[in-house]
Amino acid sequence: MSNEDVEAIPPSSSPAMLDETTKEYLFSTDEGTLSKASAEAQVPTAHLDIGPEGLSFYNMDLYESRERLDIFTEELSSSRTEDEQFTAMEDSNESRPRTEEEEYDLYTAEVSEMARQYGIWDDKEDMEMGFQTQEPFVMVTQKQEPAVQDIKTWGEEPVKGEPKEGGAGEKRDSIHKTPAVDEGGSMEHHEPCYPSEGDEPQSHEQYVGQRQYSEEAFEEEEWEEEGSQAMKASRGDTQIREFVGFSAKTQEDLTMDMDNPEDGFRASEHTHDLEEGQPGAQAGGEDEVPDVFCMECKIAIRAFDKVFGSHKDHQVTKLSIAAEDTKVEIHKTMCKLEEQIAQMENFASHLEEIFITVEENFGRQEQNLEQHYNEVIQTLTQRYEEKTSGLEDEKKQKLEKLYSQLVNCGKTLDISKDLIEAAQEICRNEDKLAFLQVAVPTVERIEEYTASDPDLKLSASLEFENDAIDFSDVRQMMDSINIVPAPSAPVINPQTPNSSTSTSVRVCWSLFSDDTVEYYELYYKPVLEGTTADENEEQDASMVKVKETYCTVLNLVPNTQYEFWVTALNTTGISPASERAVYMTVPSPPVIKKKLCRSCPNAALIRWESGNTNPVDSYTVELCEISRERSETAVTESIVGIPTYESVIQLLSGRSYLIYVRAVNIGGPSERSDPVIIYTTGTFFRLNEDTAHPSLAISEDGFTMFYGDEYTELNDITFSDNTFSRCVAIMGELIPIRGKHYWEVEVEEHTEYRIGVAYEDTQRNGYLGANNTSWCMRHVMTPSRHKYEFLHNGSTPDIRITMHPKRIGVSLDYETGKLAFFNTDLSQHIYTYKCHFLHYVHPCFALEKPGALTVHNGIEAPEYITFS
Amino acid sequence: MSGTPFLTAVARIITRHKLYNIRLHTSSYTAMALTQVSSNKCFDGFQKVFEHDSTELKCKMRFGIYLPPKAESGKCPVLYWLSGLTCTEQNFITKAGSQQEAAEHGIIIVCPDTSPRGCNIEGEDESWDFGTGAGFYVNATEDQWKVNYRMYSYITEELPHLISSNFPADSERMSISGHSMGGHGALICALKNPGKYKSVSAFAPICNPMQCPWGQKAFNGYLGSDKSKWESYDATVLVSAYSGPQLDILIDQGRDDQFLAAGQLLPDNFIAACTEKKIPVVFRLQQGYDHSYYFVCSFISNHIKHHAKYLNA
Repeated sequence: MSNEDVEAIPPSSSPAMLDETTKEYLFSTDEGTLSKASAEAQVPTAHLDIGPEGLSFYNMDLYESRERLDIFTEELSSSRTEDEQFTAMEDSNESRPRTEEEEYDLYTAEVSEMARQYGIWDDKEDMEMGFQTQEPFVMVTQKQEPAVQDIKTWGEEPVKGEPKEGGAGEKRDSIHKTPAVDEGGSMEHHEPCYPSEGDEPQSHEQYVGQRQYSEEAFEEEEWEEEGSQAMKASRGDTQIREFVGFSAKTQEDLTMDMDNPEDGFRASEHTHDLEEGQPGAQAGGEDEVPDVFCMECKIAIRAFDKVFGSHKDHQVTKLSIAAEDTKVEIHKTMCKLEEQIAQMENFASHLEEIFITVEENFGRQEQNLEQHYNEVIQTLTQRYEEKTSGLEDEKKQKLEKLYSQLVNCGKTLDISKDLIEAAQEICRNEDKLAFLQVAVPTVERIEEYTASDPDLKLSASLEFENDAIDFSDVRQMMDSINIVPAPSAPVINPQTPNSSTSTSVRVCWSLFSDDTVEYYELYYKPVLEGTTADENEEQDASMVKVKETYCTVLNLVPNTQYEFWVTALNTTGISPASERAVYMTVPSPPVIKKKLCRSCPNAALIRWESGNTNPVDSYTVELCEISRERSETAVTESIVGIPTYESVIQLLSGRSYLIYVRAVNIGGPSERSDPVIIYTTGTFFRLNEDTAHPSLAISEDGFTMFYGDEYTELNDITFSDNTFSRCVAIMGELIPIRGKHYWEVEVEEHTEYRIGVAYEDTQRNGYLGANNTSWCMRHVMTPSRHKYEFLHNGSTPDIRITMHPKRIGVSLDYETGKLAFFNTDLSQHIYTYKCHFLHYVHPCFALEKPGALTVHNGIEAPEYITFS
Repeated sequence: MSGTPFLTAVARIITRHKLYNIRLHTSSYTAMALTQVSSNKCFDGFQKVFEHDSTELKCKMRFGIYLPPKAESGKCPVLYWLSGLTCTEQNFITKAGSQQEAAEHGIIIVCPDTSPRGCNIEGEDESWDFGTGAGFYVNATEDQWKVNYRMYSYITEELPHLISSNFPADSERMSISGHSMGGHGALICALKNPGKYKSVSAFAPICNPMQCPWGQKAFNGYLGSDKSKWESYDATVLVSAYSGPQLDILIDQGRDDQFLAAGQLLPDNFIAACTEKKIPVVFRLQQGYDHSYYFVCSFISNHIKHHAKYLNA
């Protein structure tokens, strides 16, 4: 029974933790195996007596920290250590049964009660109990086996957890149920497996059994409660999942430093049953190293487990593969981390930059503020001084006026008093006449004086002049402190290479760093040639608003100059316009005249037309070699600065090339033209129909010529200078390369023809071969035989051919000065002219009687032509 | 074949010609001793003359061989050159100027004598156009001549065997050419052994010996009066019976050749037969040239190129 548990449990806890604990168990179980205690007989005993011991023993183990487990793993390798350890454990088991039992009973009672009441396990108690039980054990082990020292290490760890227990306690409660369920499930369902586990793990089972039973005893009630739930879980794995879920949850809930305590808690909680189970699982693994990897549980298991064990329905892989996979995963994670690190580094450096920028900006702003406030203060001071001095002046002025008025008043008073005195004196005069004589003027004087009203107005107003203090300018200044000044004129950049297309240009400009610009207005208009500056000025400029210091202006005309200028704006105002810069759109792509392109094994002549109405600066030819391996080929060579509409390009023989042409002006190169495909397998030329005798018809593909039956009145035909007028002939256009050329001509057996070459200016009114500017093989039918002539300058060697060629190969080699003819069907060399061609020659074809000739070219010259 | 010459030959091989790697064959030409008569460096190769005892001809025979520089490093194709009436192996190697072109194309040129010599046959030295120097490249059937005058077998069997056994020659690649009577020999060898020779060419060949005085005299002497026997040595007749790989026959003929005018060569008959049989021939009537080696050396490079085209293909 315990065995089944053992099997069921390992997968149930969170994989990593369980794994480690499992390893430990492995040890102890190993020992069990070795001692081979009789399993079944002991089970009952164990159940009765040793149960608590076993429990506590495992409890202890469960408390162990990861570190400890790791160390153990290493030690596992030596079986001796294991032995010793086992002994130690046994010893310890025996040494402490009493205490444990007591504690355990207490614990069990309490716990089960509480669990029933609250559904909560008392963690604290649990912990404490764990400690107590452990310590004696640790000491014992220490004496015997240094390796077990680790236990001590872990033993201290839970202490850390203790204080936090209370907080975590509630969360832990939720877990409690799970172990119980698990136990139930595993016990019930895995029983059938028990016999198959064999004898070896039995001794271990014993321990497990002990624990199990004892646990069962105290858990029974709880178990019954939750039994139904447990039953539902029909399979170990279902339970496992549940458990994993729980433990995961717990882990999340608990803080990091609680990790170790958590182990402890679990152990002290009913989790120990589960972990007891683990030894079993390990027990299985002891004899055989795990050889497969359970994908679902993420642990290494034995293949056996896959077949019969709890991993029955799990997906498994080979350990090596699993290890590889895990490595790959780890590697991926590492890569991700590395990426993150890189990103963070980038971000950090970016932050640094921003930091600096912000710092600078604020510094600038501070300066700005200081400057502005200084200005304002100065202005205010000045204003104050002005005002105060004004007031002073006004005061002085007014006081002076008032004083003088006061003085005047005094004077008037004095005069009035004098007059009164004088009048009184007169009145006192008894002499009437004298009185009268004196009185009259005096009265007049008085009357005169009184007639003028005394001035009683205040000469100075009491009001303050200029009392209204005007702060508007100051306010403006104040306001302007937070408002940036209007920007200065931006600086427009000259056109940079590759910044334009045929319909767009990318204009760039820059601003002074102090300026704050909300947006720019970019103006442009085409520069029309042949117009005066004034006329140009009249055109309406287009405008775009841009936030950036660059703008790609679209919808322009190809190969055209445009004038650009830019102004900067912000809330304060608009800057002056920048200088004007002329940008040019690139030309439209040229158009290759494919019908006029020719080639030979080491060169090609490409012709094109501009594609633009106004002239461009030059043309660029680009070559892409087409290779079979790479479908998309890069430009292998560019020929730049071609001023004309054609170019001879040196190529490698036996290759295929895509050739493009671009038109170039100061704005840059145009898009590529449509390509022409050149094969340098052989010489390729076309017939120049301008030279064709009027009676000669050319097929649509341009390679077959017909001389019709009907007799044409020569008089009716007008000949151009270039047309063969006597010989019904046509000239091909060979590429002007002094290399080797080869082409073939298909003839009928009875066709009478002349095939050869001629200088371009060979007489048009003569017969081919009849002059020293042409060389040709002539075939005529005499009544007796086919006659072949190799004419130059009107003469021929006497050559007789027994087989009449159907296809004639013509090989022209300027270097060796050879013009050779072959019967290609037989690889037969017929004749070779040896002559030095002073000029370029062109293929010539003539028909003497109605018939047809077909030119085949662009074909590789056969090897045998070198033996001629 | 008596035992004595055989043993002698073996002894000679061992003693004198350690130079050459002689392999013993089960054929009738097993014992072949070569005596170097002369060796001259020429265009980085060597023009040599060897003497050997011919089993076909039962006499000592000499042949010239040009070994191009390429022969030092590997096997080379062989061009057999058959000389005309009165010639020995010397005429061609001294007059034709073939070595330069042969060196260029890496071709060994083997140039045998034109008849057995010193056989003490009555009348063999009587005339220049019969007997010594006029073997006509036939296997004689007349009693008087049939022991020694087996030039056809000598050229097509013994000599190639000798060459491939003693020199770095590729027996798979051989061609044949000749002048006058040798032209006749070249044509009949090629026509009678389809595929044996990669190519054939001729200078002023006796194209139709049955119809010309030289041929009639020789055939009558060597083969008897039965003209049906003659046909197997007449190029023009052989052409019409030819069936085999495509030939490409190059013939040069001097227009001022006195023997052309004398009706000894009759190229027209041959051309007509080839035209009929659709056997490719390029026949070049070279204006102003006669029958001499001056004519031969004027066009020998054309012919070597012609052969090189097939030998080096």
